[in-house]
Formats: sequence, structure tokens, C-alpha cells
Amino acid sequence: MIRPGHLRRLFVFAILAGLALAGLGARLYVLQVVKHDHYREIVDDNTQRTFVKQPRRGDIVDADGHVLATSLPVKRVLADPSLIYPYQAEVARAVAPLLSMSEGELLHALRPLRTNDTGVVYTNRFVDLKRKLTYDQWSEVTQAIAQVSFDVDEEFLSRKERMFFRNLRRRGIYAEEDFQRIYPSGRLASHVLGYVQEVERILTNGSSRAASIEMTGIYGIEHWLDGKLKGTRGWRVTEMDRRAREIVVFREQDVEPRPGLNVTLTIDMFIQNVVEEQLAEAMKKFNPKSACAVVVRPSTGEILALANVPDFDPNFPSKSDDWSRKNRVIADMHEPGSTFKIVVVSGALNEQTVTPNDVFFCENGRWMFKGKPLHDHDNGYGNLTVEGIITHSSNIGSAKIAVYRLGEEKLYDYMTRFGFGQPTGITLDGEIRGWVKHWKKWDGLAVSRIPMGHAITTTPLQMAMAMSAIANEGKLMRPMLIDSLRGENGEVFVKFQPQTVRQVISPHAAKQMVAALKTVPAKDGTAPKAALEHYTVAGKTGTAQVPGGKAGYIPKKYVSSFIGFFPADNPEVCISVLIEEPDVKKGYYGGQTAAPYFKAIAEQVANYLKIKPDRNDSLGETLVGGTNSAPVNGVAARRP
Amino acid sequence: MANNRRNQSGAVRFVPALKAVLLCTLIGGSCVGYVLQKNKIYELGQQIGARQVKLDKIKKENQILADRYAAMQLPQRLAERVRDLKLGLVPPQRQQIVWISEPPPIAPATNALPAQFVQLNRKP
Repeated sequence: MIRPGHLRRLFVFAILAGLALAGLGARLYVLQVVKHDHYREIVDDNTQRTFVKQPRRGDIVDADGHVLATSLPVKRVLADPSLIYPYQAEVARAVAPLLSMSEGELLHALRPLRTNDTGVVYTNRFVDLKRKLTYDQWSEVTQAIAQVSFDVDEEFLSRKERMFFRNLRRRGIYAEEDFQRIYPSGRLASHVLGYVQEVERILTNGSSRAASIEMTGIYGIEHWLDGKLKGTRGWRVTEMDRRAREIVVFREQDVEPRPGLNVTLTIDMFIQNVVEEQLAEAMKKFNPKSACAVVVRPSTGEILALANVPDFDPNFPSKSDDWSRKNRVIADMHEPGSTFKIVVVSGALNEQTVTPNDVFFCENGRWMFKGKPLHDHDNGYGNLTVEGIITHSSNIGSAKIAVYRLGEEKLYDYMTRFGFGQPTGITLDGEIRGWVKHWKKWDGLAVSRIPMGHAITTTPLQMAMAMSAIANEGKLMRPMLIDSLRGENGEVFVKFQPQTVRQVISPHAAKQMVAALKTVPAKDGTAPKAALEHYTVAGKTGTAQVPGGKAGYIPKKYVSSFIGFFPADNPEVCISVLIEEPDVKKGYYGGQTAAPYFKAIAEQVANYLKIKPDRNDSLGETLVGGTNSAPVNGVAARRP
Repeated sequence: MANNRRNQSGAVRFVPALKAVLLCTLIGGSCVGYVLQKNKIYELGQQIGARQVKLDKIKKENQILADRYAAMQLPQRLAERVRDLKLGLVPPQRQQIVWISEPPPIAPATNALPAQFVQLNRKP
């Protein structure tokens, strides 16, 4: 018989139980529904791991496929001090020499507790010990850790203790995959290649976070083509067991990285090496502030070599200063000096306001124009033909051509048509445009000063491309530094083609100009030291003063240059050599300082490229199966 | 009758028991099979993982060797070797090069066959 009291108690109990169940249900609802995302995140964090797969940065190779920059797989050594404690001393003793660290330094890094910036003490679970360890070095480290003795007989340890030592050896010090950018040729073509810098990025994917170290191009081709070279990251989202081993069946996402494209340059390593050796010689002999050179193929605008001294080692860019890293060929401007006469004379020949045989009186070395004197070097000249003005590099003659036959507007027009005052379009950062004042803003004197390369500034590359335009029948080409972009297996993704900027002068005017320039490296010209034994050279010297000081120009400071091409009538190569502020006691004229290095470079380049000689007279003895007048087509056979 | 009933009832009880055993075996076997397959999948997954690690390592070693090979082929490195080993190798001197004039270009080819082939191809 149930009493009313029992019923009441039962009823109360039922209500309480109901409330308790409702409370539990509500709590369950909060945990499972309301806070679902939060707890899901915690669960995922405990089991899921995201690994970022770094793509291999593409190689940079020369025109012949020689590697100029590559990425080498290396190891990044990390440590979890919480797994090493209390055996830091033993581990540090065994590993420190292999990581090029002192024992004390490593011991400090492996301390079990650390304090953060806000003063909070926390367990030290992650230390970045060493980067860029080679695979061989890493295998030495793992061997050393495996052999380290902890003064305990591990056979008689408990299961837990054995597990501790196993974790210490396996995960106490561990490594991650990494890449190191290597420039096997060191300083060679450093200003073209540039260098990279490592940037650490934190990547998030939902609840997962992963650190990734990326190489970013900072300078040169490395920077210009950074997006193509760096490739695309891959990743893997997976689950780990309690021993930190991957459970492959629970892999959720696995995307392979896409390696960066390989870049083939137009630079030829052999020619680059020749040029850099010669510039080093020039530095030794004339002790200049700097020197630079560029070798161009006039018909295509391909740059076969581009060199500067002082230079730097891209493997260790931080050890060099800004001055050494400056690519003077594109980022330095000077008054070009007499090399600029090619612009004035070419313009006048193109306009047909002069012919190569027209005669100008050169005032015997001193000409007053608008109340200011203009001088020729040495004792000056009397009558000179247009060709003679180029041969002897007469300032007065070229000024008279500009003043009386071309005029300010036309002169300015040819300056811009030859590409001065605007970037050449080379695929490198930091190119400057030089300085060209609009003709309407010229003072009255400029028209007489610009023809001899004053009152204008140009980059060495602009001058080389202008000379190449004359060599290329008047066609100005865009300088070409990149030949192609290729995939991992050599397949071509992008092939760059030569680009014509514009026809600056007619082929006929260019031919007349070449004939005049051929007289420069002759006995009577300003650069006999540039003449080659087996090739006809066309070129022009330049000796410019350095602006500054009270007098407008600094005494005894010059920029000497020589730009030439060969074989003159069928040019294969144009070479520009510029020496900044050579020791005046040893010489400062372009013909004295730069021309010999032009010759040294040209001889080796001609031999290397097997360029057909065009001066048969000097080959009389070595010709086989024909007379001296027979065409020589560059088929070389070496005597045993 | 009684015997018959006993026999009958015994026969009746045996069949459901057999069915039950078979059903249990089937369910049990399926479960064991499922577990075995799961284990196999896990093992194969681990093997795939291990082989992927190995393949990755081999690829990287291959890359290192390729880079080392490329570095050994660099012109400067070759020049250094020539110097170190005192091989005395130098570029050919001008006097050692013989320039041979090429014969004049051959006249453009025609479609006509040489005489001996013309004879053979002629129809009777």
C-alpha cells in the first residue's frame, strides 16, 4: 500500500531526477552543440597535424646549362628540451661540436624552463638550434645522439624509463627538411643573380598552424623572377599517434608542392668569367674606384656577360656593403664623354645633313661658342672630315655638327631615339633612366656640350645598347637577360624572344657610322690598343670628367670607357668596358685604360664563340685549301 | 509416440541451434574480418608512409648528387682541377688552329632522279 507521504517523496524525487537529467541534457547540449566548434578545435589540435611542404626553388642556369644558383636540401635542427632534461650536459657534450656551437651555448639553449617577455615561466619545448646542416652532418648528429652514454644500464630500466630514453634519442633533438640557396660559382655574375633572404611565415589552416621558412629574392634575377622561382607550397593534414608517428590512413589532405621554374639566362658563364678576370686585372693595374663591363650580342640584344667590381658573394650577402652590391651597369650614371659622339654623328648622317667626307674646320683646338671656349685634346686639329672627327674624337668637330647641321631639337630627338633618358627595359630591378634635359630647357651652350658627352648622364648599359644599335644596322634592341623558363624536367614554359625597340637610324647611315668607327682602333685613332689581330673592330673611346667641386669638374678624376664591336661588318659581339676614376698617373684616357681590356676580352670571346675572322691577310699562313681571298667560314681544325 | 516426439523435438531443436551457430559465426567472422582488414589497411598505410619517406630521402640525395655533379662541371672548377693536377691544358693557340675554307654551296637539288635510278623505274 503506497502512502501519500511516499507518493509525495516519489514525486519530489522524480522532479529532482528530472531536473538533474534536464541539467545534464542542457550541459550536454552546451558541450555538443553550443561549444561544438571550440571542443572540435581542441580535439583536432590534439590529433591533427598540418605539415607544410616547401617547394624547391628553381635553379638559375647560364646559356649552356651551367648552374649559377641552386637549392640544396638541408636539415634544420630543432630540440625539445623537455624531453632531454636532466641529461642536457651529456647531450650538449656529444652534439655541440657537430653543430659548431660551444657546449655552454648549447647547454643554455637546452634549459628546461624559459621566461617570456612578460615574465611568465614556461616549459621549453622548442629550440631552433641550427639551420642549413647538410645531410652528412645531420647523420653525424644522429649517430652521436644514438651513442651518447647516460651512465645507466638501460637493460634493467623500467618500461617507462626505457621509453624516456627512447624519446630523448628520437625526439629530443630532431630535424626538419629545409633548403639552402647555393651559388656554386661564388661571386661570378653576382650582380645579375642577386640573392635571397629567408622569411619565416606562420600559416594557418582552420585550427592548425604551421611555421614555414621561405626564401624570398631580394636582388637581381632572384628578385625579378621571385614568383616564378619560388614555386607553390604543398601541405599534408594528417593524424598522429601518441608516439608522434603519422597514422597514414587518417590523412585528410595531401598536396605535393610544385617546384619553382628553372631560369635559363643569356649569360654565358665562360664569357662572364673572362670579363670578371679582366676587370680584376684592371682594378689591380689602375686602382680605380670601380669598373664594369657588359657584353651584348647586337643582333638580338642578348647579354652574354654583365660584370661589376667591386662585387660580392651572394652566398654571404650580409658580408658585403651597398657599394659592392650596386650594379653599376644599370644603376650608376655618368657623363658618357666622347662615346656619345656616336649619337650626334649618327643623327647627322641619318638626316643626310652631312656625309662621311664632309670637312669641318676644328679651330686648331680652341673654339669660342657663345662666349665660352671649347677645347680639343692635345693641340687640336685643323680640317677634319666627319670620319676624322670620330677617328680623332674631336670635341669641336662634333659640336659643330650638332650646332650647324643637326640643331637642338633633332639632337634631342636622336638622344631619345637611341634610348637615353629612359630605362632600357632590362629584366633587373634598380635600373635608372639617366638624365636628359628637354631641348626647350637647354641653355644655349648645351647643344655644343652634349655632343662630347657633357650635360647628359647615361648608364653604361644605355651606351652599350646604343652602340649595339649602330652595329645592328640601326635597330635598337631591348637588352635580353632571360632566355627561357623551364620546368623540372627541362620542358620549356616560356621562351623569350628578342625585341626590337625601334629603328633609330637607317641601315645606310649605320653602315657609314661603322666605317667611321673602324678608324678608331687604328694607328691614327684614339684606341689602337683595342685593335684585334684577326678581326676588324669598330668602337669609340670615352674619357669624361667627374662633375663636382667649385670648377664644375673635379680635377684628375675621370671616367674612362671603350665600347666596340667586332667583326665590324658582321658584328657578333659588342663589348663595353668602363673604368671609374683610374689612377691618373697610370693613364686615364679610354684608349689607354679601357681599350686594352676590351681587346683582352674580345680575343678570348672570339676564340670561345669560334667567330669567323674577317681579316684574312693575317691568316695567310694558316689557311688551307684556298687562297687568301677565299671566304673563310670559321671551320677550325686543331693541329695535333 | 513418446520416442517419436522426442526424436522430432530433438530434430527441431538442432536446426535452430545450427542456424544460430551459423549466424553467430557469420557475424563473428564478419567482425573478425573487418578488424583484420582494418589492421591490414593500417599496416599498409604505415608501409606507404615509410616508403614515401624513403622515396623522399632518395629524391633529396639524388638532388644533392646532381648538384655536386653540376658543381664539378663548372668551367672554373675544371680550370682549378687542371691547375691543381698540373695537366698543362690551355686553350689552343692561334698557331695551332687551321682555318679551312668551305667549298662553294652545292647547286639546289632537283626532283630528277640520277640516271641509274631513272633506268630502273622505267615501266616496260
